[in-house]
Order: sequence, then structure tokens, then C-alpha cells
Amino acid sequence: MTRLVEVPSQLDDRSFETFTSSFAAAAQNGERLLFDAHAAEWASPYGLVGLLVAGQAARQRSGRSEPPLLTAPTHAEVSSYWARAGFFREAADLFEIHGRVPKAKPAEESDVLLAVTPVRAAEDVHEVVSRIQQRASAILASELQLDPKATMGFAMALSEACQNIVEHAGVGGWVAVQSYHWRRTLARRVVVIAVGDAGIGFRQSLEATQARRFGERWSDAAALEAALIQGVSRFRDPGRGQGLAGIRRYLARWDGKIAIRSGTARIAIVPSWDDDVPLREGLPNFPGAQVLIIIPEQGSAKR
Amino acid sequence: MIHNIDLQTVMQESASPVYMDLVTRPTGRVVRERIERAFDATGGPTVARMDFRGVGCMDYSCADEIVARLLRERPAVLLLVGLTDGHREAIEPVLIGHRLAVLVVQVDGTLDGLGTPEVADELLEQLVTRGLADRLPGGMVALTAP
Repeated sequence: MTRLVEVPSQLDDRSFETFTSSFAAAAQNGERLLFDAHAAEWASPYGLVGLLVAGQAARQRSGRSEPPLLTAPTHAEVSSYWARAGFFREAADLFEIHGRVPKAKPAEESDVLLAVTPVRAAEDVHEVVSRIQQRASAILASELQLDPKATMGFAMALSEACQNIVEHAGVGGWVAVQSYHWRRTLARRVVVIAVGDAGIGFRQSLEATQARRFGERWSDAAALEAALIQGVSRFRDPGRGQGLAGIRRYLARWDGKIAIRSGTARIAIVPSWDDDVPLREGLPNFPGAQVLIIIPEQGSAKR
Repeated sequence: MIHNIDLQTVMQESASPVYMDLVTRPTGRVVRERIERAFDATGGPTVARMDFRGVGCMDYSCADEIVARLLRERPAVLLLVGLTDGHREAIEPVLIGHRLAVLVVQVDGTLDGLGTPEVADELLEQLVTRGLADRLPGGMVALTAP
């Protein structure tokens, strides 16, 4: 029997829990999954990476014989964007795709600063950093009015976010970067980094070194808090834990936002322009970790 | 004597000839280990000049491996040359986190502390005492050795 996973028509960080809820319910019996995205109208980089993560988890479970199914968006414009964003290139290895999949065109003239790109090893992080510097620096400076210093920090933040996959996930993941107009709460352009994997997640990664310290309070939320707020790492080396701390400093300086979802919890450092919740627990279980970083267009705000 | 380290050359010899960026901890580890071997071959220099010219992006993980961890394992007065604002942004917090400091060689040859201020002052004093740097009128310190 095949179980249906509904893909919200607007797949982004806000609707993501609708998606995870559908995924968690459908995945519990170990049956083949059908991800139904035919009615999709829009997907953020976070949504596209999240969909790949779900596909990766379903694929890991089912093996190669019965890959999960995916119905592609029927709107030509939408599927064209998904192709341009590099989604279908990666999805082809995970899903049996049904529906029309357009050929991907180069994303050079678009707001896709980095198409969905696999991250499996340190070499991939080098590649991502190199590409983003070539492609994004001018756009970040001209469109978002980011100071050149901010564009340097942007590559650093991107590198550290990707390294979380290489160092902690235990499996490969994906990164995507895009700029777009953030109408929801800001009415300004933003640049968004989305990173996700279907790996072991923060809780399992930190369990050996942190669980005893937290005792009965040990949970996905406690693990996220330890990593993002307290800067702890699973490595005992005192130099570890620099990555997320560095990202936080960078975002504090440029009024940016970070949200990390892992397992059944989600933590966010919420800037004044956003209305997100700092910590959510008891969410539907979703594999691995998903990181969302948003840097807004710089106005006249002092820093 | 001041030991010279050309980071771009070390990076290309130890990691990959196509890499321009010092990113990821494995890359930082490989580069640091190569520098440590060079240090050990000279009997462990007490003053080393690290040239950042030609290095693109540096992330916090690499800054921790190449600068902070190097100093923890092979204590030395580290002089950084050709540093960009981006490099500085990566290096400063990791130095402060470990209560370490380095000296940045400015274009005019004067030295500026980076990291924990008291430690940087001690490094400047060491160089002056050893005749490798002079105090200038106005309180600045400049290298005397080439």
C-alpha cells in the first residue's frame, strides 16, 4: 500500500510543520510514500531542501527497490522554478518522479544564488564557498545593500552551516541559497540559506557528551539549546562549537535570523522584524536537522 | 630570526592546488600540521610571520585550527601579514575564546594586537625586549627586523 504525504501548496518554513505532520503520519507503518506536490504553487529553498530530506529518509528506509514517489508540480512556472533551483536534479536520485519535469536552465540570471547543492564532504563545502563568492558577492552588495564586510561573513556563515552536515549528520545533505522579497513581516528583500540533512540530528550527536548533564530534561529541544545558545559541541576539544557561535555573531550584527529544526523541536533566534517563536517542542518527528538563515536587506539601521 | 609561512603556498601544497579559501576543519587541520612540521624542523621558532595574501575566505573552524590551535600546541609570537577584514573577523573571536593573541603587521610596518589585549601587550613587549621591534613616538610599535 502507498501512503500519501501532502506537500503544501506554499512550501516554506511556516507551512513546514504541516508537511512534517503529514510525513510523520504516513511514514509510521513503513509503507511506500507518495509525496504529492502536484498542486504546489511556491516553495522556498527551505521547503525544497526539506522535501529532499524527507525523500532521503524514505529512500533510506525503503531501499532501492521501491523508492518513494513524487508527483511534480503541474504549474509549468512552478516546476520550471524547481528545476532552475536544482531540485529535480537531486530528487531524481531519491524519488520515482511522475509528471512533467522541465530541463534545468542555468540559474545565472536569477535570484537563485546557489541552486540546491549536495554536501557530503569537506570538498563540497569548498565548492559551495567558492561558488557563492563568485556569484553572490555583487548581488548581496547591490540588491541587499550589504556592506562588503557582510558578504565575507556570509561565506563564513554558509561554510559553517554546511560543515554541520559533514561533521555531525552521518549522511549527506543539501544547501540552497536564494534572495527574494520577504513579504510576510518585513517587506524587504532577504537572502536565505537553507541547509538540511536526514542524519542523526542534534540530540543523538550530542547525547554522549551532554545527556548526563541534562538528566531527565534531555530532549531534542535541550540539544538544540545546548548547541545554539550554549555553543557546546560533541567534541571535547575546547576549540569546537565555534561554527554556530560565529553564525550567531554574524546574524546579530546584520539583524539576521537563524532557526534550527531537529527531531521534534525547533529553536530560533528571532530578530525584531520577525514574529517567530524562539522554541517549539513536541513537533512531529522529522529526520536529521534543518537550518534556516535569513539576512535582510540593510536599511538605515546602525550596527 | 623570524620564521616565514606563506599560507597560500602551504594551503596549495597540503590541501588542493585549486583551493583559495581556508574553510572546513579538515582543511585547517592539514594546513596546521604542515606548519607544525615546518616549525619542528627549525627547532620550534619563537617568532613566526604568517602571510595571508592570496587567501580568500577563512571560516571560524579554520581560524581555530590554523591560528588558535597552532598557538596552543606550538606557543610562539605570531605576526600576521596581509590580513583582510574577513580574516580578522574569523580569527579574533577564536583567539579571545582561548585567551590568546597575535600581532597584525600593518602596511606601514607597525604592529596591532588581535585577540586578548593583555596577551597582545605581552607579545609586543617580548618583541621589543628581543630587539625585533621598536617603540615609536606616540606609543606605536614597529618591526625592526625585515
